[in-house]
Amino acid sequence: MGSDPPFNIPHDRHYDRVHHLWAWWDEASRRVRVGIDSIGLESLGELAYVALKEVGTTVLRGESIGTLEAAKMTTIIAAPVSGTVSKCNDAVLQDPLLVNGDPYDGGWLVEIDPANWERDAAELVSGEGIQAWVAAEVERLRTETQAD
Amino acid sequence: MVWRLLTGDCVDAGRGLAVDEVLARNAGSGVSPTTLRLYTYRPHVALVGRFQDVAHEVHLPFCEQHGIQVNRRPTGGGAILMGPNQLGVALVLPGRGEVLKWRARELMIRFSRGLVQGLGGLGIRASFRGKNDLEVGGRKIAGLGIYRDSSGGLLFHGSLLVDLDVELMSRVLKTPFERVTDKELATVARRTSSVRKVLGTSVTMEDVRSCIAAGFGEAFEVGLEPGELAASERDAIDILDREKYQTPGWVFQRTQVPDTSGAATLQTPAGLLDVRVALAGRMIKTVCIRGDFFADEGAIADVEGRLRWHSSEPAAVAATVRGCASLDEESLDQASLIQAIVSATANAGEPYGCFVTPQPEAHP
Repeated sequence: MGSDPPFNIPHDRHYDRVHHLWAWWDEASRRVRVGIDSIGLESLGELAYVALKEVGTTVLRGESIGTLEAAKMTTIIAAPVSGTVSKCNDAVLQDPLLVNGDPYDGGWLVEIDPANWERDAAELVSGEGIQAWVAAEVERLRTETQAD
Repeated sequence: MVWRLLTGDCVDAGRGLAVDEVLARNAGSGVSPTTLRLYTYRPHVALVGRFQDVAHEVHLPFCEQHGIQVNRRPTGGGAILMGPNQLGVALVLPGRGEVLKWRARELMIRFSRGLVQGLGGLGIRASFRGKNDLEVGGRKIAGLGIYRDSSGGLLFHGSLLVDLDVELMSRVLKTPFERVTDKELATVARRTSSVRKVLGTSVTMEDVRSCIAAGFGEAFEVGLEPGELAASERDAIDILDREKYQTPGWVFQRTQVPDTSGAATLQTPAGLLDVRVALAGRMIKTVCIRGDFFADEGAIADVEGRLRWHSSEPAAVAATVRGCASLDEESLDQASLIQAIVSATANAGEPYGCFVTPQPEAHP
């Protein structure tokens, strides 16, 4: 059995447990920047296409803020927080592999003006909860790999 | 556990896709049961992948002239030609409970297992390869795709080649060659598989359908009960077909990821190597390997299949080619092949305008 993939999960942000999207709250702009975490990317594989909802679109947590085609599946991108899409990352629309190469910085997807950041943040994993969550997810990934 | 089994034939492109999407959406929201649908399309339809540009993938004037419907799947992957001899496979699952925890890799493995088991019942040994292919002896026999709806519902799409009209396919779908020659058609035929080709018999679509249904039943340990669409499902399908799949906004939508193509030729000890690639951004969509070298067609088809929807990064290409154990070093060395493919991707930059424009008048 090989060693665990070297997942980089920064502790400065929140994570959606199921969809593996990260949400980073920017106190200055009071916006939430959203992207895909490295465990989610390990499962999806390399991204071929990304489509994002237009700026101004209002979404509820769990609703689609876009669609992506990755090496292993086509899926909606589920909003980790409710709010209004305020900015899309044009760079990833033209080069989706940026998401795989730089998931936490240049590979961000959208920014959302959150309807209620505190309420949605409570539904996400953050801080001390991250370590146990990552350990469980890595274990699940290892089980899948063995089934492959 | 019992799943619903739906069957149908001669289905229109838009309606066929609308049925699958509605069932996936309804399954996600708990309205429709888990359903396996095994169906064929009318002769013929061309279906592009979720994000493909129709004009880049399909010869539209030819389709219009010959009544071939064109539409866009919700699932990813490449363009396909469907008709009476290609079995459409759609499995919709609720995406809740245990299924919600399965990730893409496990989902695809489980889905492909149903098809592999079904083909096994026909006496065909198929295996899963790359992003979304089932192959037999290195040659593609089925394409697969997964779509996760916003309701959580999961749709698995498969297209199983029971038989294939290579000439018609080459006139409907664009390829990275300037002309479709008899030699090119023969090469495509040698590198593609089908149920009838492998078995060497004229097995009926009904027999294939029965075996595939049985394969899914065994793979998922469920019973399958033939059923019909509910009235509420039919209503939702009519609406989705009309408001989505019949609209140019869906069929002809474009992506911001640029399509490009490139070519490279290389004189090797085994002969001349001619490689063409089509790229979506930095992702390889298609690789076509031709030349006057002598190599096992199954091995070359396997390389082409493994590089479909694959990173164009030279190191990734090299690793995948080196992983193709069936490639015989004496007939075509891996280093030359890697060099030619990497050169072709480096040369990519030409728009798809250079792609083939088949001559409809040459078609019987």
